Amino acid sequence: MRVGADGVGPDPSPMSGDRSLSRRALQVVAVLAILALAVAAVIALGSRLNFGPQQYLQLVLDGLRGGTIYALIAMGFVTVFNITGIINFAQGAFVMLGAMLAVTVYDSGLPLEPPLRLAVAVLAGIGGTTILGLLMERLTIYPARHHSTLTLIIITVGAYIALQGLALVAWGAKPYVLPAFSTLELQDTTLRFSGLVLKAQSFWIWGTTAVVLVALAFFFERTLTGKALRACALNRKGARLMGISVSRMSMLAFGLAAALGATGGIVVAPTTRPMYDMGLVLGLKGFVAAIIGGLVSSPGAVVGGLMLGVLENLAAGVTKPGLKDVFAFVLLILVLLYRPEGILRRRGRVVEQS
Amino acid sequence: MNRFGWLRRSPNVVAALAMAVVLLGLGMFEIVRPGGVDFSDLTGGLVTLDTMIRIGILTIVLVGMNLLMGYAGQVSLGQAAFYGLGAYASAILTARGTSLLRLPPVVAESWWWPWMAILIGMAFAGGLAYLIGRPILTLRGHYLAMATLGLGIVIYILFRENLGLPGSHITGSFDGITAVPRLRIGSFEVWPLSRYYFLVWACALLSMVLVLNIVNSRVGRALRAIHASEQAALAVGIDIAGQKLRALIVSAVLASLAGSLYGHFQAAVSPKPFDFGSSLELVVMSSVGGMASIWGAPFGVAVILILKEVLRSGLRQVLRGASGEHEIVVYGLLLIVIMIFMPEGVLVSFLRWLRRRWPASETIPAVEAA
Amino acid sequence: MSSKSQGVLSLLLVVAALIAACAPAPTPEPTQPPEPPTSAPEPTAAPTEVPEGETYKIGFSASITGPGSSLGEPERNSAEMIAQQLEDQGGIVGPDGVRHDVEIIIYDDESNPDTTVSVVRRLIEEDQVQVVVAGTLSGNSLAIVPVVTEAEVPYISMASARSIIQSPETGETYPWVFKTPQENVHSAQWQALYLQNQGITKVCHLYENTSYGQDTFAGAQKAFEEPGVEIVYSATFERTDTEFGAQMAGVQSSGCEAVVVGAIPPGASTVTVALRDFVPDLPVIQGHGTCNQAFIELAGPAAEGIVTPCGRLLAAETLPDDDPQKPILLDYIADYTAFTQGAPISTFGGHGWDGVMWAVEALGSLEEGMSLADQRAAVRDYIESNISGWPGTGGVFNITPTDHLGLTYEALTFVKVEGGQWVYFPETDW
Repeated sequence: MRVGADGVGPDPSPMSGDRSLSRRALQVVAVLAILALAVAAVIALGSRLNFGPQQYLQLVLDGLRGGTIYALIAMGFVTVFNITGIINFAQGAFVMLGAMLAVTVYDSGLPLEPPLRLAVAVLAGIGGTTILGLLMERLTIYPARHHSTLTLIIITVGAYIALQGLALVAWGAKPYVLPAFSTLELQDTTLRFSGLVLKAQSFWIWGTTAVVLVALAFFFERTLTGKALRACALNRKGARLMGISVSRMSMLAFGLAAALGATGGIVVAPTTRPMYDMGLVLGLKGFVAAIIGGLVSSPGAVVGGLMLGVLENLAAGVTKPGLKDVFAFVLLILVLLYRPEGILRRRGRVVEQS
Repeated sequence: MNRFGWLRRSPNVVAALAMAVVLLGLGMFEIVRPGGVDFSDLTGGLVTLDTMIRIGILTIVLVGMNLLMGYAGQVSLGQAAFYGLGAYASAILTARGTSLLRLPPVVAESWWWPWMAILIGMAFAGGLAYLIGRPILTLRGHYLAMATLGLGIVIYILFRENLGLPGSHITGSFDGITAVPRLRIGSFEVWPLSRYYFLVWACALLSMVLVLNIVNSRVGRALRAIHASEQAALAVGIDIAGQKLRALIVSAVLASLAGSLYGHFQAAVSPKPFDFGSSLELVVMSSVGGMASIWGAPFGVAVILILKEVLRSGLRQVLRGASGEHEIVVYGLLLIVIMIFMPEGVLVSFLRWLRRRWPASETIPAVEAA
Repeated sequence: MSSKSQGVLSLLLVVAALIAACAPAPTPEPTQPPEPPTSAPEPTAAPTEVPEGETYKIGFSASITGPGSSLGEPERNSAEMIAQQLEDQGGIVGPDGVRHDVEIIIYDDESNPDTTVSVVRRLIEEDQVQVVVAGTLSGNSLAIVPVVTEAEVPYISMASARSIIQSPETGETYPWVFKTPQENVHSAQWQALYLQNQGITKVCHLYENTSYGQDTFAGAQKAFEEPGVEIVYSATFERTDTEFGAQMAGVQSSGCEAVVVGAIPPGASTVTVALRDFVPDLPVIQGHGTCNQAFIELAGPAAEGIVTPCGRLLAAETLPDDDPQKPILLDYIADYTAFTQGAPISTFGGHGWDGVMWAVEALGSLEEGMSLADQRAAVRDYIESNISGWPGTGGVFNITPTDHLGLTYEALTFVKVEGGQWVYFPETDW
């Protein structure tokens, strides 16, 4: 079947044609005008609800926190996509598995002091999910590696269904609790300044993401495996000619994506009540963030995640919170139409499909 | 026989006729019930008439999707939204005809109004596909899939959130719209299931024939050329955007028709069957059946729906105490196994196997539609 | 037939059955598991000496997977528990003294109306059940209504919307449809009473973006109007939300004096935590979907002081001893905990239990030798006329031909979280 080969193959420049300078300028003006309109609309709608600066700031803060989680998940999408060309719909399952495994280990009655127990739980959550990610690649993607991309994507859908079903069998449909990292209790420390409310967990989320970003940068820039992965992302055929095992890189990519997803799931767990189906929404939002960031770059994923978080929170806050996802996906469509390479435009980047 | 040589040259016609005969026979069987045996007894109670009708309805959606995905090469992850548009159009125009739209009773209660509503729904879906298709189809590959994903979710949420308006008087929010009337022709009610079955499968067969015609015409060749290489297609003067747009419109109109049939079948329309999961399941059905084949459409739907039925009633006997949780795990795993071992779809793999078995036979349709 | 002569007749039949049972006939071992009927056996014609009749079938379907699974799982557990109990006690004996096994056929509706309808049709047409208990979610239950109405099968829903049993347009009660859960409008009536008592006239309403949540909002709109309580801000949230800044900003700037929440855990818990962070001084009133231990466990210290109308199930131990529901509630709690090995009690499990028990009781009223259609009609008639003054987990039901639920707001009581426990909070203490 030929669908996958070019049907869903990554395409570096979906919009064809060069743009002249004047047209560029016009576009900039148009974008600025739209932005001004959007800000005006937000303020007009917000004044209807008597919003003051404090409310807007709160929405932005909340958006930055939610967006960071999207960013972590999005980086998992980007990693897998870069190296294999697959959109991994099982990414949401990794998020859920990380949180659920961590909860289970934390509650398992390990004879450890709570802080140590939490550390073990976090490591077990990430480690366990990574192993599952590696296993998933070996058992489902590897045997089908010669099939079209679309077939592989459908396989990841199947993997998502199976993993979520397994979670339902293992944990039931009931929500669990992972304590806040700062207090080791359900109740988190709440910081207040001039009416703004910020949970201590937010700093764990931001801190973790920063550490992950630095670690990833180090991994990709300084280690041989990281460089091999990057080579695969740039040119799979070339990498193979250089003696890099592409299939091992594919497995690594899934492991890395699982670890990233699990990390996101674990740090967000104390702010929600993890249960077997928490991966669906987070996974989809992470996916949107990845596309906003261009689907091929990790920094793009971070910017995409933050942008998505802030914009959807602001829009939902001044209109109907029930429409939050509408704003997220309208943003997705707008980005695809006007900036399909992502908001961090990187022209001329070639991702070759084997 | 020489006189029937044309049959050999057009296996599609043979297949269509054979399918029509089999379906007609099955439907008659249900009506006559020889010896008290009804349709589902033929399959040991496994496949019910309800399932057969659902297969028919989704076949209509899938035929359009296969045209779009398998031939035009445009992956849609939001097709359930068009399906939902038909269902909601029919439900709103009929069940809310007098209360919301203030239609005069002579129209709202007439037998022809629901049929008109189906056509209005199809026109609306086609129009929407036209409007959004222009900008979206300039995107290629993954990007189109993502845009349709976003679009599908947006439309689903609008169903769920009463189109973003306060209250729930239009789409009924989560609970949806109830009391959608059954279809009638004059005073002849196209109901119970045994009658509705004929209507649904007539529509399904017609849409298959329609799409087969498209596929085997100049348009189909153009679509395949686009699929193979857009540059090459452009070079030989094919209107790429126009052809893709037409494929999208056909698929949207067919999905809307199916949605309307679904609405009158279910008699109640709520947003869940049109969410992202359902769009994904349509793609799964398409892949399982074989995307690049119109015949893969009914196959894919049947495999998935019957697989679920088998799991539902069969798993319990194999695994004592099995329940919904276990069914869903097995379903996911089977999906993976099918895609690993039959990546081109069950139908294509089956035909391959047939050809290997009887290499001489020419009546087995060509494996590749191209 | 008058009830007196019916009683005499059934007494005679029981005597006859006893005599027949004393005859040297192979007494059936009641605990033997019923064979899964692969090919539908013809209802055995005349029973020989053994007064054993056909196996009755109750069709049961709940949302065991999908978004409704936290509700559907306890419902399914309740149904399995009753099936086990019936098997242990050897089925049920009809008024004519004939013993019947009862099989409860359980399916998963995947929280999807399509699957629901397919499964219910299968139960009716293939499994040939006498009565259907199904529909965890309102949307799914609404989809079942036309199916059971056409097939003329009695149907008991486990979802709360009024529109399941009664047409919102015409007010007509659907003849074949019953339901067990208390309604959100009953909850809202309690909330209105409480708000009025506290002198609160402006409230915010936050509700989960689900069918249940929307129904709580609709109920509040209806019930708050008359006592003059104004909803100045309303917003939805998702169960999976990790931040509530949007809703909290609205609450803060609306100037409301209390917040009413319509949700079930975990959403109800996470939004309570957020409310405590942002507006610690505003009283929070929940709906009856929250009154279970899970709400407190998932909300932690933030749950302290929350008040809510609540079914009696979760306050069972603190009820006065003369409460007609008390013995049933305590039995149910003990049985359910033992059967599920410690799963938490939930009102949803109770809704399932009530429904299946109606069905079992109605089946127990059937006499041998009726056709399936007659059995179905008789079950319907029995539920409509005999579930009266019937204490269940959801309240004391009084079903009438025009009210197929048979509960008022008095089915609920009022409770408060104190020291991590729900405690009875009577009006006198407000």
